[in-house]
Amino acid sequence: MTAARLQLLGIRHHGPGSARSVIAALDEITPDVVLVESPAETTATFEWVGTDGLVPPVALLGHVIDEPHRAVFAPLAVFSPEWQAIRWANEHGVPVEAIDLPLASTLAVDAAAERLTDALSDDTSGGAPIDPLGALAAAAGEPDAERWWDDVIEHRGDGLPAFEAVAEAMAAVRSGSVTSTGEERREAHMRKRIRAALKAYERVVVVCGAWHVPVLDVTASSATAASADNATLRGLPKVKVAVSWVPWTHQRLATATGYGAGVRSPGWYDHVFRHPGPDGVARFFVDAAQVLRRADLSASPDHLIAATRMADALAALRHRPHAGLDEVLDAADAVMGGRPLVRRELVVGDAIGAVPDDAPQVPLARDLAKRQRSARLKPESGDATIELDLRTPNGLRRSHLLHQLTAIGVPWGTLTDGRGSSGTFRETWELAWRPEWSIRIIEYAGYGTTVEQAATRRLVERSGAASRLVDLAASLDLALLADLPDAIDPIVHELATRAAHDPDVGDLMAALGPLATAQRYGDVRATDREALASVFDGLVVRVLAGLAPACASLDDEAATLMVERLSEAHQALALVEHPARHRAYPEVLEQLAATAGHGLVQGRATRILHDAGRWGSSTVEHRLGRALSGGTPPAVGAAFVEGFLAGSGTVLVHDTDLLAVVDRWLSSLRPQAFEETVPLLRRTFGAFESAERRQLGRLVAGEQREIAAGYGEGLDAERVDAALVTVRHLLGLPAHQPVGREPATGRATS
Amino acid sequence: MGENVHEVLRPHAEVQYADELAALAEHDDRERPPNWRLSPWAVVEYLMGGTLPDGTAIVPKYVGKRRLIEVAVATLATDRALLLLGVPGTAKTWVSEHLAAAISGDSTQLVQGTAGTTEETLRYGWNYARLLAEGPTEAALVPSPIYRAMRTGAIARVEELTRMPSDVQDALVTALSEKSMPIPELDSEVLAARGFNVIATANDRDRGVNDLSAALRRRFNTVVLPLPDSADEEIAIVAQRVNELGAALALPPVPPSADEIRRVVTVFRELRDGQTVDGATSLKVPSGTLSTAEAISVVTNGLSLAAHFGSGELSADDVAAGVVGAVVRDPTHDGVVWREYLESVVAHRDGWGDFYVACRALG
Repeated sequence: MTAARLQLLGIRHHGPGSARSVIAALDEITPDVVLVESPAETTATFEWVGTDGLVPPVALLGHVIDEPHRAVFAPLAVFSPEWQAIRWANEHGVPVEAIDLPLASTLAVDAAAERLTDALSDDTSGGAPIDPLGALAAAAGEPDAERWWDDVIEHRGDGLPAFEAVAEAMAAVRSGSVTSTGEERREAHMRKRIRAALKAYERVVVVCGAWHVPVLDVTASSATAASADNATLRGLPKVKVAVSWVPWTHQRLATATGYGAGVRSPGWYDHVFRHPGPDGVARFFVDAAQVLRRADLSASPDHLIAATRMADALAALRHRPHAGLDEVLDAADAVMGGRPLVRRELVVGDAIGAVPDDAPQVPLARDLAKRQRSARLKPESGDATIELDLRTPNGLRRSHLLHQLTAIGVPWGTLTDGRGSSGTFRETWELAWRPEWSIRIIEYAGYGTTVEQAATRRLVERSGAASRLVDLAASLDLALLADLPDAIDPIVHELATRAAHDPDVGDLMAALGPLATAQRYGDVRATDREALASVFDGLVVRVLAGLAPACASLDDEAATLMVERLSEAHQALALVEHPARHRAYPEVLEQLAATAGHGLVQGRATRILHDAGRWGSSTVEHRLGRALSGGTPPAVGAAFVEGFLAGSGTVLVHDTDLLAVVDRWLSSLRPQAFEETVPLLRRTFGAFESAERRQLGRLVAGEQREIAAGYGEGLDAERVDAALVTVRHLLGLPAHQPVGREPATGRATS
Repeated sequence: MGENVHEVLRPHAEVQYADELAALAEHDDRERPPNWRLSPWAVVEYLMGGTLPDGTAIVPKYVGKRRLIEVAVATLATDRALLLLGVPGTAKTWVSEHLAAAISGDSTQLVQGTAGTTEETLRYGWNYARLLAEGPTEAALVPSPIYRAMRTGAIARVEELTRMPSDVQDALVTALSEKSMPIPELDSEVLAARGFNVIATANDRDRGVNDLSAALRRRFNTVVLPLPDSADEEIAIVAQRVNELGAALALPPVPPSADEIRRVVTVFRELRDGQTVDGATSLKVPSGTLSTAEAISVVTNGLSLAAHFGSGELSADDVAAGVVGAVVRDPTHDGVVWREYLESVVAHRDGWGDFYVACRALG
């Protein structure tokens, strides 16, 4: 090798063979500067490569400042030649520079590229094949480009000779192709930087995609003139761009998940890069055996010996110098089985990268870290349960953060019980942070610079795509819980349009609850109260019209859902003091309670009418009697009681009036009728807690309940105020001011 | 016994394809494992088909992925036993016979596994007359196919391994791991000659099978033979086998109509997959396996009908009875499936009118 001042190392992006050759070549040349095909702004981020905190796989993310959705990812794994070149340079104290066209120009020109693309693969520029080496390999009848590289290029010798072979091959591939404008610009920029480097340094090494090698040799006589390149680059539009490191995963590197990085088997490449020697195959089988054993499949050392021999025999049979991925997988499958498992865990792998805190990060991730700190919630992978008290500022902060993350699509916490329709001020969350969520955050980085903004946009986007009204209602609910006022208007608008077309009354009813909450409590910053009310009114009209027919023929499952909706709708109407609550809705309920239908629905309708004071005790007794007498089929009667008592004995214990109704009706039964009724009642009462049953028994036996005395005449306002302070404190209400969320009891009725 | 191909109903693979094997052996200059007639490369070539430098055409014996055959041959070359798994009719026995023929030149060392198979069938039995007269001697011992294969260093075949009772299966463990078979009665043992190996077949869908013990399973490499990937592949298999069978059974030459073969394969594939080829209609699936092997038998059957009783050309009438017979295994369940298929798919398909009429005529 003559001491050429410029060495072009043409590589295959993410090729472990290329990576090894690059290291060998750099050791041989010991250049004064290393130039890497990567957008020019990324030079600043290279200092982190090789430090402890930055663990590959990682990606460089470039995005337009203020427009985070216009972004480009460039993934790097440990087996990426670029990564190894930068690492080598940092280790040897050699300057390293990114020479590709700046993202400032790429992103400005390519305004149409709204979606995430991959800067490193050449597919963005058109013209060049996505994987030129793959194309060459395919032409030679070899489906695995990496193996073709191994067999054909690497076996010519280590380091430099391999790159000479690549340059020759690429010159041949490129000779017939036309260069696109985008590619022309990138290559012009690279040539410009190479010329600059040649002026400043003695020995220059360029690590670039093999495709570009033939046109980057500026020392050749056929090279494009510097003046022509300057003309190409003149007057390109520019935008402000920020570049940051983001963690990445092997799964995302795999082309299967959509980033055109050209790596089908990152896990295998990683293995090949780390263990290039002859024992690499045996090591792979040892790893495979461990994976299989964890899944309770048998994999003994005997299997490993057999599999290793098998892989070698297969390679010989296929005329390969040594076993590649195909041989290894075939051998593992024949000897041990479990191919899908091995493929998922080892061939693709579950490696997850990490990024140090002091490295530049995506705005969304930075905002999340800030919010996590202020809410004093640490992302930890183990399971944890936290209790939130929404009356405290920090409880509310945490709740909002967790709900907002759910809205983004990062289910860090799962709500086990708590708020929802019962409206308490406690929330219990199961927390478990999974590392890939850091990556999901980055994936959604394009949705906004803050968690709140991203959550709002994601939620609105999802509600636009929601197919059912119930999902829209759930989105609205989430928007309220997550305190995303800006999401409410678009969702309500969507809901109104959709409600006009949704024929399912049940779905309409499900939407009432969140809408009512939005009207009543929605901390109305931007929400148009009028619009909300009119949407709500429209829904109510539709529900009232369609409810009776909708309840006509329900199976058990549908009826169970329907009775919950009946109660929810009643609560929703009560919450906003809707006029329909007093006339129209009870009328429909009366119709439901009277007509033949599912017992559950009849029972629940009767109960709501009773609670609302619409039906007096005697009417209820009659209705109860009719449901549980001979003419009614036993199953319907049992369902009626179940619907009537709503599956809880507690209400009976505390509602003297209701208990009296049931008690009077029971006592009025003739002995024979009583015997017939007992089995039906048992079905409902049997489901009560034993403590509830005991208490009921004592009450019926005549034991007096302790009833707090009411208040008498002439209240002393001052003393009442003193007591109110305590009561407010108990109920979690701020003192004497309208509240964000009052602790409604189960039934907000008289 | 005169080895005249035309006098035997079905000659062994090594006899039927003697010419191909001889030609392959002649051109085969690669390394052969001890006691193999051909190199592993040539064995794969024999099964997958090709053309030799001198122009000898090798008929493909297995139509499917080359990878599978490579794995099977590599298994045998590394002294591991081979287990061919698959649903009935995926050419397991066929592949095993041809592998044995190509490797040892002898596909006859065969044990058929049944629920009644005893350990003697796998090890050795006794000639009781001699045993009583002379006591236990080498001459009184009746060797099993496995025994003989160990002596000669050949491939032994075990068909339907999982139909044998589990304890009988385990008699194979010593032969496969120690490569020896002890004969305590004679205080001696048979040590396997190099080249000995076992190819077993088993199907993984049938009822009444006995799972392999972990100890035995560990000695086998498994190759799963799948149903053909595409309709064209399946049609090719059927057409080729029908031709060969026709010749072997000395049927009068009838040109097999490609249309009828396509029809049979289409019916089988659609019912097997539970949906029509275009994916537009979902279908009930009948209880039978409707494998390629059955399609071959339906077409062969139709050919013989056409030759002896019909026009001399394979027509819808000739295959209809065979198709219905293959589909309707269980009169009540499959009868419904078939009628639905006939009325919802066959009746409306262009160009299938004759087939529909023929099937309807059968009731």
